[in-house]
Amino acid sequence: MLRTIEISMVILILAVAFIAATFFAVLPSPKQISSPNLRQLALTTLQVLDVDKSLTEAIFENPTDPAWTDLEIALSASLPPNIVYNLTVYDITKSSGDALTYRKFHSITNSESGLGTDSEASTYLVMSTNVTFAVTPQKISGTLYILNCSDANGWWITGYTSQSLAEDLYNLLSPYFNTTIMVQNTTDLGHILDGTEISSLPYENVTNAVIINTCGEAVPIPSAYADSYPRDSYAEYCYELGKRVNQYNWTWVSIVGYPFFYVSNTIKLASSDNSWGIYGMRMVTAGGLNSFLRGLDVENYPSYSYDGSWITGSPGVVYFSTEAYYYSNYYGIYPSPYQTATRALPSWIQGTYHTTVTASVFNPVSDRYAAATFKHTGTGAFTAIGLTRTPDIRITALSLLMYYHPIIYKSEFTLTAGERPTQRLIVLQLSQQGGS
Amino acid sequence: MTGVTIDHLVATVAFIGAMLLFIGLFTQTLQTAILYQQNRHVSLKASDLLDNILLSPGYPYKWGETNATLSCFGLQKPGTSGYVLSSFALMRLTSLSGEPVEYPRDSGKWYNNISLGPSGYLFIPISDSINYETASRLLGVNGTYGFQLSIAPIVKVSISEYQSNPLILKVEVDGPGFPLSGAALSYYFYRSYKTGNYASIKIFTDTAQTDSAGVAYLNFAFDGASETYTIVVYARLSGLFGLGHYSHRTFTRGGGVMPFVVDYEAGKVYLAHSWDVHDQGSPVPAYAFNATFFILTEDFDFQEWPIANSTGILNYGVKNYELTTLPVGCPGFLLVTYRVSAIEYGISIMPWGIGTLAVSTLFGDNPYGNVWTATDLRQVTVDQLAYQAKITCWSLQGYQIWNPTG
Repeated sequence: MLRTIEISMVILILAVAFIAATFFAVLPSPKQISSPNLRQLALTTLQVLDVDKSLTEAIFENPTDPAWTDLEIALSASLPPNIVYNLTVYDITKSSGDALTYRKFHSITNSESGLGTDSEASTYLVMSTNVTFAVTPQKISGTLYILNCSDANGWWITGYTSQSLAEDLYNLLSPYFNTTIMVQNTTDLGHILDGTEISSLPYENVTNAVIINTCGEAVPIPSAYADSYPRDSYAEYCYELGKRVNQYNWTWVSIVGYPFFYVSNTIKLASSDNSWGIYGMRMVTAGGLNSFLRGLDVENYPSYSYDGSWITGSPGVVYFSTEAYYYSNYYGIYPSPYQTATRALPSWIQGTYHTTVTASVFNPVSDRYAAATFKHTGTGAFTAIGLTRTPDIRITALSLLMYYHPIIYKSEFTLTAGERPTQRLIVLQLSQQGGS
Repeated sequence: MTGVTIDHLVATVAFIGAMLLFIGLFTQTLQTAILYQQNRHVSLKASDLLDNILLSPGYPYKWGETNATLSCFGLQKPGTSGYVLSSFALMRLTSLSGEPVEYPRDSGKWYNNISLGPSGYLFIPISDSINYETASRLLGVNGTYGFQLSIAPIVKVSISEYQSNPLILKVEVDGPGFPLSGAALSYYFYRSYKTGNYASIKIFTDTAQTDSAGVAYLNFAFDGASETYTIVVYARLSGLFGLGHYSHRTFTRGGGVMPFVVDYEAGKVYLAHSWDVHDQGSPVPAYAFNATFFILTEDFDFQEWPIANSTGILNYGVKNYELTTLPVGCPGFLLVTYRVSAIEYGISIMPWGIGTLAVSTLFGDNPYGNVWTATDLRQVTVDQLAYQAKITCWSLQGYQIWNPTG
């Protein structure tokens, strides 16, 4: 009898254990095992409704506006029939001390009894379409000179004029410089080369300037310099240019093709053509670039000497570097991330002319850099865009910004007291009805 | 002694019985919990899989516009973010909904058939399409999970003939949950008529608005039964965009001119004589056709785009097809109107990009026979149209699989 009592007690214990296990190990309802991801559904619904900014416009309207009725219909129509929603909009305002305050503005729902505890929600921040905001870039110290010489022709800028390119560059880059000056003729260029300022602007400074040559493969030549440095079809002038870049710590920018392949002055060289029928221009050939680099490295090439060898290469299609992708997004400049390079500078000029490659826009191919800045170990730098024509001026802008990488300061909304809020937060809460 | 023995016997039998009972009970509880866990895992997998498909453009980057072999599967439109899908990537998916079509008959060349209803055709070479096995392998679920993906417009724009003479068309605009009352409608009416030897089209556009039941009636001052036409209606309400189309033709003795995409990457399309697809007996009619391509602009307008060999006569045995080329990567639709006799005209329409005619896509495997499936959905946009992407996912492993054969 004792054994039976013991076994009965064991059975009792097992029964209690089972009841306890059943009581505590409560499995969720089948609906919860596989409910649609309501959070993602809510977010994507808001995104779809805002595809043409209709949602943004509606939620900034007065709650009595018909746009709210349309929004209710659109929400009801777009969600599956067994999903109920509650859409609440909050005003976001700045209170004292820059603290953000969220205040309920309006709410719409298609459920009278509430959404229950199983609901999920997503939030969506929108800005009023009439918001203005300021982007304040850090200013690069130094003056930006854009060669816009009316008495010089361009080459390999097919489809553009150097003047139109200059204007585009001005629009792209002037926000990043304290002073931007369009150099209107070769005479003014001559003044800069002599170290003389050409405007009365307070921040103009010839030293540490950036000079962008918009004439492509041609470089403007002042008449006086044409007289003084005529040797080897003006390759000597290119040497002088390199020397000035070094002397004044300039950054010289070539926007396309083979740099310094021609010199141009429509008055001085009116009777010369570049061998292709463009008058006012003279072909220097490959010696121009070598002379410039020797001038840049004047410490090691103290006097002019000629080298006419062709040094650029044609690596073909080149692709953005990781750094270029980053800065493209950072500055909001979006040229095509792959381009064709036929005049890419070789890596060995770093050793020969004591330069260092920085801010390479494209990944090097076969030790050639399609767009990069070669910074001299002393002073001066040379930004060469060795892409094929026609030029994409955005590459030039991106290359320079990558080199100087000025900071973009955080945008600040122009919200003033008493104005309607510029930001609203939308919370869309969804719940599944039916099932168990 | 006997009492003790009985005591032992009763106790032993009771103990064994209790043990068996409780082992069964506990096992059942454990099995339910394991099953729950496994089903939960399938559910999470469905959600992950859907996001993987919708939030990646795949690789090569613009694979939807080329014949490229895929190394990564994804349907997001290149260069966009979020749930914006590529109209052309969707077009390259092997459809589960339509029966493949062989063209020409007995040639062994099969085309993926995305059914659009009467007079609507979309035939893509199967050799250029991405099949389920490839997608499954690239998504890393081959042999472990099965799935079916449905991409369908959220807003359904249904058009039907309400009255023939004078013609009144009834347009119903519905979402999955509610009709769209007060939706703004814009419609493009393409009417076939004769000019010279060929058929041509007159275009008429207007606007309307749906009533509280999501219905609008469009009135025309002619007899619809004796006219050949296509109407494309575009509905919009508070960011929701939908589109529908409807065709009517007076020629009913055959398929007419059927467009086949023969070279996907180059955009080459055969305007084929239907006799090469379906033998509908003698006499075999000749089709004097006029093809027009309408490109979808950014502000959701359809603009005419010149195409090669846009007019001609398909006379079976003399000329079985005409070749034309559509602009690659530019969504729109091809409208072919043709004349058979003085009173018989036909019209064919083919979308170029899934979104331009709000075509649905069903891709993947059939879930029939699987004991448990999980579903998940997202709202997406395709060519600015609101679509719903729904995935059905199931496990191909584990004890819970019910095997019908064994």
